[in-house]
Amino acid sequence: MMLSLSANTTETAIDLQMINGSSASETQEIPFASELNNFAEAVAQRDTTNISRTRDELVEVAGEIVMVDAAGVAANFQRMVRIADSMGIPIDEKSVEPGADIRQELDLGRFESAQNTPSANR
Amino acid sequence: MQAFSYSESPYEIREDLGQAYRDYWARLAEPGSWWTGAERIAIAQESRNAMTCEFCTQRKQAVSPYSFAGEHDHEGTLDPLAVDAIHRIITDQTRITNSYVQDNLANGLSQEKYVELAGITVVTLSIDEFNRALGLPLEPLPEPIAGEPTRYRPAHAIEGTGFVPMIPADGNVGPEADLWPEGANANVLRAFSSVPDAVRDWMAVGAAQYLSMAGMQIFAGDTGRSIDRMQIELVAARVSSHNECFY
Repeated sequence: MMLSLSANTTETAIDLQMINGSSASETQEIPFASELNNFAEAVAQRDTTNISRTRDELVEVAGEIVMVDAAGVAANFQRMVRIADSMGIPIDEKSVEPGADIRQELDLGRFESAQNTPSANR
Repeated sequence: MQAFSYSESPYEIREDLGQAYRDYWARLAEPGSWWTGAERIAIAQESRNAMTCEFCTQRKQAVSPYSFAGEHDHEGTLDPLAVDAIHRIITDQTRITNSYVQDNLANGLSQEKYVELAGITVVTLSIDEFNRALGLPLEPLPEPIAGEPTRYRPAHAIEGTGFVPMIPADGNVGPEADLWPEGANANVLRAFSSVPDAVRDWMAVGAAQYLSMAGMQIFAGDTGRSIDRMQIELVAARVSSHNECFY
């Protein structure tokens, strides 16, 4: 949702499927999208070998500062999902309707925690 | 050597990141709202133990995590209910249910204790994950500071949004006036609000790792980081997707 908002604000075309891991749809309009995506996935998977490889690849193309900032964001979102799921919070009412198309496109209803937002699954 | 100095890091790390982590370590060591300093550090240690817990690995594969018996790899200093909650939050958070939280309450793990425990678990995790992402060793946990928890409970926290009571969207008043700015009252900001310091703690670390509350409202332009907002959100979305985040 936030990625979509940011893309709309900057009038940048993106294919949201890349956040589901689809490398074929990675956009070239976001700088270092492929390397950022791969690094983020490796951090989320906690795969030490992949983290090391993708970290080096990101540093190679974008530099250390970009990699460190990306590491911070990835670490932050390892936390956020656990806040939401451990407390069982639903999607905010004001976001249910605007986010419906995105949730459908990404098939987010398949996730267990979708049951915490019954109004988004009708 | 001070914590999070990153003097051995092969990468230059922004000072505000190290400072945010140091500040959190200092708060972690102190008595909290419902747990002592020693218990808070034990919770942080359990969040690390969960990463290598064999029982968690096996339970993750089970069709139902609630019919799979066994014992966690743990330090032995916390109540088993607390240990299980910490390990679930780290390794199987999508399958935490309201029934599980209410059963814990009936068996002695209060909702406030659960919230503070969750706060410690996820903030420690996010700090540790940053070090892992950079290939750096984890920071040693701090020494606990003696004292009793405050047992502070906001009078206006109410049931009805998630599994635990929360301060309502317009409840950022009085001692809780600083919890979120006017108009920014998403459920995720309010999730831990029955333990207000748990909100303050994750938001302080989040402001360094991700964006400040003010920064979150800006979808184009300078982020104060080396990556723009779309790059930030791309990383955020990929991690969230892997974690099966519906929210």
